[in-house]
This record gives sequence, structure tokens and C-alpha cells, in this order.
Amino acid sequence: MLKDKIEQYLLEVQKPSRYSGGEVGQVVKDKSKVDVRFAFCFPDVYDVGMSHLGMKILYSLINERENYWCERVFAPWTDMEEVMRREQIPLYALESFDPIKDFDFIGFTLQYEMSYTAILNMLDLAGVPIFQRDRGETIFPMIVAGGPCSCNPEPLADFFDLFILGEGEEVNLELMDLYKEMRDNGATRSEFLKKASQIQGVYVPSLYDVTYHEDGTIDAVTPRENAPATITKRVMVNMDESYYPKQVVVPFIEIVHDRVSVEVLRGCIRGCRFCQAGFLYRPFREKSAETVCQQGKALCESTGYDELSLSSLSTSDHSQIEEMLDQLLTYTDERHINLSLPSLRIDNFSKSVMEKVTTIRKSGLTFAPEAGTQRLRDVINKNVTEDEVMRTCRIAFEGGYTQVKLYFMMGLPTETDEDIVGIAQLAEKVVDLFYSMPERAKGKLQVSISTATFVPKPFTPFEFEPQTEKAEILRKQAVLKKAIKSKRIKASMHVSDISQIEAVLARGDRRLCQVLYDVWKDGGYLDSWDEFFKAERWYSAFEKNGLDPAFYANRTRSYEEVMPWSHIDYMVSKKFLIRENQKAHAGETTPPCREYCGGCGANKCLGRPCFP
Amino acid sequence: MKDYRITFEKRGRVKYISHLDLNRCMIRAIRRSDLPAWYTEGFHPHLYLMFPLALSLGAESICEVMDFRLTEEVPDDEILSRLNASMPEGLKAISVHEPKYEAQHIGSACYDVTLQGENLSQFWNDFISQEQILTEKKTKKGMKTIDIKPMITIEGMTAENDNLCLSLRLPAGNEGNLNVTVVTDAFQKYAEKPILVTKILRTKIFCQNGEIFS
Ligand code: SF4
Repeated sequence: MLKDKIEQYLLEVQKPSRYSGGEVGQVVKDKSKVDVRFAFCFPDVYDVGMSHLGMKILYSLINERENYWCERVFAPWTDMEEVMRREQIPLYALESFDPIKDFDFIGFTLQYEMSYTAILNMLDLAGVPIFQRDRGETIFPMIVAGGPCSCNPEPLADFFDLFILGEGEEVNLELMDLYKEMRDNGATRSEFLKKASQIQGVYVPSLYDVTYHEDGTIDAVTPRENAPATITKRVMVNMDESYYPKQVVVPFIEIVHDRVSVEVLRGCIRGCRFCQAGFLYRPFREKSAETVCQQGKALCESTGYDELSLSSLSTSDHSQIEEMLDQLLTYTDERHINLSLPSLRIDNFSKSVMEKVTTIRKSGLTFAPEAGTQRLRDVINKNVTEDEVMRTCRIAFEGGYTQVKLYFMMGLPTETDEDIVGIAQLAEKVVDLFYSMPERAKGKLQVSISTATFVPKPFTPFEFEPQTEKAEILRKQAVLKKAIKSKRIKASMHVSDISQIEAVLARGDRRLCQVLYDVWKDGGYLDSWDEFFKAERWYSAFEKNGLDPAFYANRTRSYEEVMPWSHIDYMVSKKFLIRENQKAHAGETTPPCREYCGGCGANKCLGRPCFP
Repeated sequence: MKDYRITFEKRGRVKYISHLDLNRCMIRAIRRSDLPAWYTEGFHPHLYLMFPLALSLGAESICEVMDFRLTEEVPDDEILSRLNASMPEGLKAISVHEPKYEAQHIGSACYDVTLQGENLSQFWNDFISQEQILTEKKTKKGMKTIDIKPMITIEGMTAENDNLCLSLRLPAGNEGNLNVTVVTDAFQKYAEKPILVTKILRTKIFCQNGEIFS
């Protein structure tokens, strides 16, 4: 048995329980009673993948169906990969220890672009042909993907049978149902794909032809075989009625986010122009306070976790946040459970919310003003003012905080050196505020600044914008360093070619499939880990394929250009994105959706205004 | 408030979880069991849990011991059934009782070790009849060479085909501890050929006075 064979080698690798399964909450079924088997693959190591909420939802959702079985698969760390290749152990699923090559579905979640090489390596470890065209007509395994990066799946188009766009709760089951029916009737892979392309939210890339202009931009994307001209994402309209697990797998080893979490809302009302998630997950929908509490309690009880997190893009925008916290805290206090709110916003971080949270834990505060001056914050529509930053810091300092982390981006559209100096000035003001307060907490203040290179993403108003080149980012960092005077401020700056590669893949087209393949062939794997990312691999693969990374990363697109994702509809209209881009350049802000509807079009799935 | 000690098994693939992970796993199991666990006082209260003797990664056991405290008395069989209902596959509480000895009383432990390879009993006999068995040990002051031979007591040995089963008694606890993997590693090095360690099972923990630790 494969399980016994694997066990022989587990003591050779770090954290062997990444590979041995058997956790509380895992679902094991009798194979002979299962009709469709799904291998849910996370293209990163166990510790990262197990922290991912979407996987937990879909795992439980599929397993609720008696005759469907979903299992977990993660990317092996390099030590285990070596063992697997040496001993010819194929990639297997943690629940059954069966090789995933024989599964009906192999599904990947696309969370970040730098995980793409891990996907290719996992397919290879599984023994599945990397290119879709080499898989033949046998209907299984169907190689599918979903998750936020599906909004521009083109750099992966040649490797996948189909992509799932938007929220997967319904469409995953619809696909599995269709598959079961067609497989039982002897259908081939292409017959299934043709039919599947008719389901809303399913994109079958092999049914589309892409033609290019001489300058390398796209001329047209043309569907074949009756596939729809535009593919529209799926949305769960009612969050209270959407499926949410009562039990999740409880890992033995410590994972990145080692806690249970309840998703309190989807979407975001803010409209920060750089934030892809803020547009991809529109429209804003929330769960009632009651549902959140009930789901949180159920998860704490079934798992035994002592930390519960309320997750979303902006938890404090929930309309019943205080009520929800009150209710939850009565429960969590009594049960010795920490309540964590990872995404509190600076502007409505009220004193009462803060007091509630500080009764639980008093660690550092993190704020993301994203830009150093009000002008640039207006450009990116991060509606946070300096006064708000100061007011919140004052509350925080009164509450005993002595550590503040400030997050910024560098290379934003229209950015000048004045904006960079503004980052230092803002941090200096926080320092001054602290020392001007007689009632401040004891101890030394530490303000840390962290800056990341801005990566323009599809379906944002900045999808047209060029990324700033590395040399210019380095120059800007030097400007920032010079502008910092106080010893209480620590700036962590880090530049890597990863940002440019990420920018290439984010807005890339199908011609990049060959680049990805070449990078992987050259040893590329787990590229999201600094220790494994090798820039030369990427640049030589671009060269080999006659492609220029700057064409994808550092070029301004016209509003008329056909984007690689033009045939994909995330319900946010291009007209709106253009409008927002123009407003950005004019330095005009757009208010949050709750105050004013900017008319992005996402409400069409609700059939009513988002905030009636 | 009452102190309890359980003896439990750690068998099968839970042998791949480290001591630290076992601790976290047990905390969660007790929380799921809904037993009235006692938490420490103070700003960050945590569930009180104590393991008198750690087990190395990769080893199984039928005699692990864990101490915890409940805020009120609960019948023994209820503790066992509630814990067993909430523990992962491979962990099983066998008995519960009041702690009699303390961790510092522990003196030795017994292990069944199964090895696989050709002619192993011959190699083993040669290995164990050496004058000294020197191994390197990591200490705070760096590497130190120690002779482990006087620390090993062989309580049984059977050989069948390519399998060699040993019963070893080794010092354990604060007063001097010899990890069973130190012995198997030294043997592998001596034999200069691949030897598969197919099983390490801790079978008993003794006090210095010779009684079973309970
Ligand atoms: S339709 Fe209006 S309110 Fe709804 S997400 Fe779009 S801009 Fe916001």
C-alpha cells in the first residue's frame, strides 16, 4: 500500500505530519460508495494551505454530499518532493493516500500568481500530463481551478480543462453533477467540456481562440463550439443562507493562521482603487450578527480551538459590528477564547470597539494608510485622512499600545517624491503625538513602516497603469530613508524581482504558458518563497520565448485595448473602471458604496440596489 | 479542583506529531470533550496540562502519561469516554487515576524496537559486545562524546527472517535520559549498511524505586 511506503520515509523530512493526515475533522469515506472524487489542491505547503478559508468551505460543502468525496492535497516541501521523486511516490490525497491521478477532479485554488509553478510541479508529481492538449479523451481527471486569480486565467490557459469564476459554492456541485451524469453515459473529455462551458461561471479556455496584433496586443478572443462570448462570475446572493462548515480539519502542526474563522461579510464598500479583492468580490453582502455568532460557536465547539477570528476584507464595516462583538464576547470570555479581528479599519476604529478588543489581546496595531500624502490617498481612493490616523493612534496610545505598524505602497500612479517624503512625515507625526501625551503608556514607542511595490491588477481602475520599474523603486526607497529622522521609526524595505514577475502574470496572456512551463522545467517551484525564487529563470524563459516582461508589467494600456481578460465578466463594468481611472488622475475620490453608488454594475446579480 | 493523570496510547500515524504538537492537540481534545478543565490564573489564562516524560518523534507508545486538572470531580469512566470521543485516531486514554509519583521520580523506560535488514542479530551481538559504545551528544557546551553501553539493558531479543526485535530498558527522566533513537542511530552507524527501523514502541515507564510510574 502507498501509505506504508510513504511512512517509511516520513522521518527523513521536516514536519512529517504535513504528509500523514489523520487530523480531527478530516472526512474519510468508503470508496466503493463514492461516485465522484475531488482532489482539492493548494499549490503551496500544508501550513499555508490549511490556513485558507475557501478550501475549508468547499471541502465540507462537497463532503456533505454522501456520494462525493473531497480530499486535501498540498505541495510537498522540497525535502519531501525529493523523497517522492526518488522513491517514485505519486502525489496523493491526505485522506485516502490514493494517487490523485485516478481522481475525477483535480482542483487547484489560485490565490496568488507566484504559486503557478507549484501547480505545474504538482501535476507532474501526480503523473498527469501538464498540457491540457496531451490529456486525451478519457474524461478523468478533469483539471480545474478557481479562486481570485481565475479573473485572468490566461497565463494558465494551456494547462487547465476549465476555470471556475467567482464564488464556488453552487457551481462546484453543478459541475460534479454534470460530470457524473456524462461520465456514466460514456462521454469524452471534450464532450464534457463543451457542455460544461454552458454553465454560468465556467470558462473552458480551449474553446477560445486568441489572435494578436503585430505590436503584441490582443486583436480578438473568439469563442468556438457555442461557448459564450463573455463568461460571468458566480455570486452567492444570500450570505445567511450560504453554506458554512460546522467542522473543519484541525491540524497537528502550527499553521500560518492557526484559528477558526467566520467569514462575516463578502465584498467591500470602500473601493480602494489598487485593491483587486475589493472589486472581485463585489457586491457587498453581510451575514447577520446572529449567523456569525452561531457559526463561530459551532466551530469553536467542534474543533476545540481557542482563537476565533472574524474575517472579511473590512470587518468593521459590518452594520451590526458592536452588537456582534458584544454577543460573541460573552461567549468567548467564558470559554477562554481569543477573539481576533484581523481587518479593522483605521477610520471607524471607535473607542468602544477598541475597548472590546483590547480586553482580549493587546498586541501591536497595524494600519495601512497605503500612501504618504492626502493627495495620493485621494488618487487611490483610500479614504483615510491624517486626522483619522492621529485620532486612532491617540485612542490606541491611551489604551496602552506602544507599537504601531504602518503599511504603504510604492510606485502608485501619479506618485512623486513629495508623496514618498510624506510617508516619513506621517510616521514622524505619530511619534510626536505619542511623546506629547502625558497619559501615554510606559515603554518605548516603535513605529514601523513597511513598503511594498505596487502591482497593478485586472478588474481594478489601475489595470491600465504601468508598474514602476525596480531602479526607480530603489531610488524612491533612498528618498524615504533620507527623510526618516526619528530613531523610533524603523523602515523595512525590500525589493525583489518577484513584484515584476507578479505584475507580468497578473495581466499576462496565453503566450506566458510556455514561459511558465520553461521556468518549471528549469527547476522553478514554490516561487512565492524567497529562498526558491530565482529571477534568472524567469528572465531567461522570457527571452527564450521572445517576450518582454516590460510589455506586460511596465506598459500603459489604452482604454480601448482588448485585455487578455476582456471576455471575462466580474460584474464590475469596464466603463466604471475607466471612470474611476479618470477620477484617480484628477485626484477625485469616490465615496463608499453605503453612502453613494458609483454604478459599477455589481448589483445586477442582486436585482436591486446594493444598499436600498 | 482535582488532579488527574491519564495513561494513554500514541499509536499509528500520530507518531509523526512532535511533543509540542501533542500538547496543543491534547488541549484541543480536552476543550472539545467539554470536561470542566482548570485554567491558570492571570492575564493569559491557559489550560493546565503536563507531560512527565516526552516521547521522541517517530516513536509509538502504550504507556504515555498526561496530567491535568478539573475544577470539579468527574467519574473516571466519564473522563475516559469523553476524552476518547474527542481524541484523534491513534490517541487513546486507557486509564485515569490520581497522580502518585512526580516527574522527577522517573528513572527508566522500556522500548520494543523492531529492525529490518540482513543478518541483523549477528551485527547486533557484535555491536553490543563492544567495550564501549561511543556516541556524540549535543550539550550546552557543544558536542560531547559519551559511552552509552552501560546505559543499555537488554531485556529480550528475538530474530525472525530479516527482523530483529529488541526489548531495551534505558534511563529516562531528569536524572539522565537516553533517547532510544540514539541507540538505533549508533547501531546503524556501526553496521555501516541500511537498517530499517520499522517500529519503536515505548512499553513501560519506571520510577527510580523500580515501581511502574503512575
Ligand atoms: S453597484 Fe454601486 S453600491 Fe453596488 S458595489 Fe457597485 S458601486 Fe457599490
